Amino acid sequence: MSPDPKEKKQGIYYGWYVVAALFFATFIAIGARQGFGVFVNTWEQDWGVTTATISIAAATGWLVNGISQPFVGRLTDIYGGRRVVVLSLLVMAIATMGISLITNIYGLIALYGFVISFASGGISPATTGVIVARWFEKKRGVAMAVLISGGSVGGMIVVPFLSYVLIEYGWQTAWLMVGGLALAFGVPLLIIVVRSNPIDMGLEIDGRISDRSLGAKIIVRPVGPRFAKKWRDSLRSKPIWQLSVAYFVCGITTASIAVHFVRWAVSEDITTGTAAIAFGVLSGINATGVLVIGLLSDRWQRKNLLGAVYVVRALAFISLFVLPGPIAIWAFAVIGGMSWLATVPLTASLTADVYGVRNLGTLFGFSNMAHQLGGAAAVMLFGWAFTAWGSYDIPFVIGAALLLAAGVVSFSIREKKHSVRYVQVQADAAIDSNTAVTDSV
Amino acid sequence: MAGHVGVLLHVTEPIDPKLWEWLSDRIDHTLGISPETMIYLIGTFIVLFPIVLLILVWRQRRKFR
Repeated sequence: MSPDPKEKKQGIYYGWYVVAALFFATFIAIGARQGFGVFVNTWEQDWGVTTATISIAAATGWLVNGISQPFVGRLTDIYGGRRVVVLSLLVMAIATMGISLITNIYGLIALYGFVISFASGGISPATTGVIVARWFEKKRGVAMAVLISGGSVGGMIVVPFLSYVLIEYGWQTAWLMVGGLALAFGVPLLIIVVRSNPIDMGLEIDGRISDRSLGAKIIVRPVGPRFAKKWRDSLRSKPIWQLSVAYFVCGITTASIAVHFVRWAVSEDITTGTAAIAFGVLSGINATGVLVIGLLSDRWQRKNLLGAVYVVRALAFISLFVLPGPIAIWAFAVIGGMSWLATVPLTASLTADVYGVRNLGTLFGFSNMAHQLGGAAAVMLFGWAFTAWGSYDIPFVIGAALLLAAGVVSFSIREKKHSVRYVQVQADAAIDSNTAVTDSV
Repeated sequence: MAGHVGVLLHVTEPIDPKLWEWLSDRIDHTLGISPETMIYLIGTFIVLFPIVLLILVWRQRRKFR
């Protein structure tokens, strides 16, 4: 089989441009949503409300975002990822600008709690991950990792941006600017660059030429060995539950730390400044770690890396109750940083490998919902536990135990039996899936 | 109820407000850059990313049309 001349001329595979555009959408959407906390004190003063009242908008947003995931995932499976991400970012951008006009907490609950949070579900891995999975198979892990890192970078760049605009020009201008940036640059970028499938650009997955045109009977393509035409049938198989249960634990442990880490540090007589630097170290190692894991996952079995990531995070949790506070904080920052977001590209890629991409939005949407709801519940339980016992030791012990269990569950996934990377798929099924969604906006 | 959802509020916070205050003071002290300059620097980065990407995509499409 000699290489097609067109393949040589292709240059950078177009899928990487799609990843870059989705990275930007994730960057701006997650960054804007995460910026909520910056404005709490200002709203309290402007509207004369308490933190608890504003909490209702945030809590509503957290739950709505979690519940939205399977729905937007299903829409992605039916209508194609491009339409969903474009519409989601458009709605989110307009609603974000709309926040600058609201004058009371009810407007905030309506716009942030419902509209923005639901729309941001459309810029989550349940949709963006599906598009990337359709474009990449061999380098799916690293492509997912680059995409996911967009959220981290958004938090690090957009949030300070919002803070500075708040200081200089007020909160209304801050929301207007970030919404305007998303509308003026993010939406056109998605419309022009993103395509739901490589076939929309006359390409095949990974930039390969069509095997069908060469008369191949067996191809390794968009469906997985556990693919089912009806997504509900996939729920009868083991891997989706193994992945979702482990991801539920991921949500529990990341959300609880995001909220309670500083409180724990203070309870250990660690200064706020030290806690800030430790968080910076964790974020820096995390940004690097997720890309390294992405690269490795395209070479090794993803389930082993996923299991290792959970075990490493368990070690980080163990350090919190075994080591003295001033040492534990650094041990946690370094060890925990290596595992923080690495579960996302691994879980998304494995789901795509096992079930294919046709129903991936719905299936990964369910895993995402489990992640978000687990996180919401854990945040409250950790808070209650600290109030009751005056220490985080018991929640950390439980967290470590759950992480070790998640590691065991991940290791037990039979990837070589279920993954398209190791099992070939019949051509007729692949062709059926390949023609499922072609769209244009 | 309010106390319980109050805990949830912090989930959406990327960083504790006190931490952010401390960090921004450190950054300002170290770099000596005013908030207005930071807005322009970060804003330029945010705007340049999609513009550069669109140029690259346009060039690629033109090259292989």
